[in-house]
Amino acid sequence: MVEATTPTRRTATPLSLTLAVALACIGIATLVGFGLQVVNDAGMRDALDPSLGAARPSPVIAFLDAFGIVLPLAMLVFGALAIVLGLRVARRRVAAMRTGRDALSWLAILGAVVSIARIVQGTPLLAPADAHLAALAGGALGPALAAGVALALRWGMARLARQTDLPDESLVNREARAAWNLLVPALLILVVVAARPLEATIITSLTDKRFASDQVPNFVGLQHYRTLLTVRFDEVVCRRADDGSCARSASGAIRWETLPRERLAEGYRTAWNLNVPLVSGPDTALSISALDRTWIRSIWGTLVFTVASVSLELVLGLFIALTVHSEFRGRGAMRAVMLVPWAIPTVVSARLWELMLKDTSAGVVNRALMMSGIIDTPQAWLTTSALQIPSAIMIDVWKTAPFMALLLLAGLQVIPKELYESARVDGASRVREFLSITLPLLRPAIAVALIFRTLDALRVFDLFNVLFGRSEHSVSTYNFEVLINNQEAGYASAIGVLIFVLIFGFAVLYVRFLGVNRS
Amino acid sequence: MTQPTWARALRRLPFYLVVVLIAAYALLPFVWAISTSLKSESELFGPATLIPRDPTFRHYVNVLGSATFMRSLSNSVIVAGGSAIIALAAGSFAAYALGRLRFRGKVAMLYAVLAMTMFPQISVLSGLYTNVRELGIFGTQAALLYAYPLFTLPFAAWVLTSFFRGLPREIEEAAVVDGATTGQIFVRILLPLTVPALVTTGLLTFIVSWNEYLFALSFTITSPRAQTVPVAIAQFAGVVEQQEPIAEIMAAAMVVTLPLVVLVLVFQQRIAAGLTAGSVKG
Repeated sequence: MVEATTPTRRTATPLSLTLAVALACIGIATLVGFGLQVVNDAGMRDALDPSLGAARPSPVIAFLDAFGIVLPLAMLVFGALAIVLGLRVARRRVAAMRTGRDALSWLAILGAVVSIARIVQGTPLLAPADAHLAALAGGALGPALAAGVALALRWGMARLARQTDLPDESLVNREARAAWNLLVPALLILVVVAARPLEATIITSLTDKRFASDQVPNFVGLQHYRTLLTVRFDEVVCRRADDGSCARSASGAIRWETLPRERLAEGYRTAWNLNVPLVSGPDTALSISALDRTWIRSIWGTLVFTVASVSLELVLGLFIALTVHSEFRGRGAMRAVMLVPWAIPTVVSARLWELMLKDTSAGVVNRALMMSGIIDTPQAWLTTSALQIPSAIMIDVWKTAPFMALLLLAGLQVIPKELYESARVDGASRVREFLSITLPLLRPAIAVALIFRTLDALRVFDLFNVLFGRSEHSVSTYNFEVLINNQEAGYASAIGVLIFVLIFGFAVLYVRFLGVNRS
Repeated sequence: MTQPTWARALRRLPFYLVVVLIAAYALLPFVWAISTSLKSESELFGPATLIPRDPTFRHYVNVLGSATFMRSLSNSVIVAGGSAIIALAAGSFAAYALGRLRFRGKVAMLYAVLAMTMFPQISVLSGLYTNVRELGIFGTQAALLYAYPLFTLPFAAWVLTSFFRGLPREIEEAAVVDGATTGQIFVRILLPLTVPALVTTGLLTFIVSWNEYLFALSFTITSPRAQTVPVAIAQFAGVVEQQEPIAEIMAAAMVVTLPLVVLVLVFQQRIAAGLTAGSVKG
């Protein structure tokens, strides 16, 4: 707080005293009110009830499950700040008065929004007026009254700040307060829709919470993470056919023995049997098994999808960008055309490709490939497991390569033309030009486009959900499956946290190795 | 340049072939969808032709007459429009602060907004799902209006910040000399200048929310009344229940896609600029 140091009267007036007391009361009421809410929470009451004995849930988990960390912290900080602000207003500080005025405005707006939301939520907009009044009385009246009180106090505070005979605060201070005021709505929204859910996800991932029950969930520590991350490597031999050679299935693949009985009893299931020369012998395979093999497989599928689709998109996107960058008639139209695949909803493009990839007579891709002699029989692109991920990659490349090209095009346009002219004068070839001018100068644009696309591809959901249902999972569709279909909140949350870590890890790697911040 | 025009054109021919190839790559599947949506049942299973022999609008009539589909259309308009408005309102305030005002903690806030634009929605799905159920808005459009700012707001704030930063500083200084307050500067001077940016950002957030599928599916999976078009199209079973109604699915898909494509074609330059501002200037 920058304030003038000239000696001034710091004595309180009736108005300043009233407002100071009101602010302090708001602070105390916040703290006490929140405390009462905690004590009266059903889960907390169970946790604090000694008569329940050993069946008593942990009070820490009960508290975190019901309130989390962000909300109590916000309440504490807000309450404490209101009290401090009250004291400063009593000492007639202009900055505190203005801050108080702004805070009260936000409180009034918040109260109004909450009360309107409660009315709208309970009754349809076109319901008769008395229905709205009933809604107002039940639940919406409190916030509305609070908003009114805040508005009145705000008016007083504004008056106080204006009539005071104290020196004004600095312009820098005013600008900073204006900035924070402007940031309040965005910050509030982001706390509610991002920080709170993220924290709830992390807390829930340590419990066995399920949506079906109302009970306070039990603390299970890192058990979900252990289940998700445990992987075993064993050697398995092939099953023998009658003649002593390895038995093969109808499709010609070698049939491997299952894992030992004890491993199966521990919950291990085979994710892959790898018959790789050098790693395993001729009749043996490396068996990779996990406690949750669907998850391990979904990670691998997602990584393959991401690496393949992003690198193909980069190559194709660069090619398209370089083509469209050169001067020709109809260039503007081409740029518009490039946006078309991007504008089509992913769900729509998934269903469109589903249709084109059909193995019946309606499947135009199979027809075209057969006519050109590339394949002999129609392929079931979306149901043959070896073709599923390649099909998804192809569809994703179709949709996003032009978008990638657009991002790269913007990067190409910043490269000064003179560089190429001087290169021409020096007799550099086109290839040389591309390698020593275009590529290095395009690096920042490539880096950013790569980051955006990679992080996007890692969380692929729409495509896998529409095309494959439950037959092939990406990490996101598996998370969805566990959460929405199985209602296992605890386990699903642990998956969510791991996805977050995975994506965060990729972001950090990119920033490290591509030097994005240098742009 | 002594070559005759036709010779130059001929030399450029391979290049134009590549251009045509790229255009076909981007457009053909889309054209195929339109063509399929206009075909009659008998033609759907015959030899595939790009141009329908006997075009019919029957599938469009069926789709537009379906109450379920029309409701999902109006749900989508409410949800996408509402979240665009929320993102623009909160985002333009924040962008003004981040793009033009000086205050301590600005750099940290900028980084936070940038990080949020890349936030993986799936990782908070579980927490959001819990919150939405606790608030009692599960299975309503309100659940989507509640969740969508997670991705629309950081995006809008980031794009608008770069627009605000690009405006010359002298404008405000002149206004300050004339005695205008911060609020007046924002509303009277900067906001009108950024109307084009607001339109673009609003359009982009609208498109992104219109196409969103993960939250829409998770929060309305058990209540068809609140479903948006992506969910409706993913689960489209057809008006007449026989075999899979390919042509009707495509007609429905085109009904939700054509407006977007038209918007994109009309605003293409601005959209391209907005998209690159949202990423490349990172």
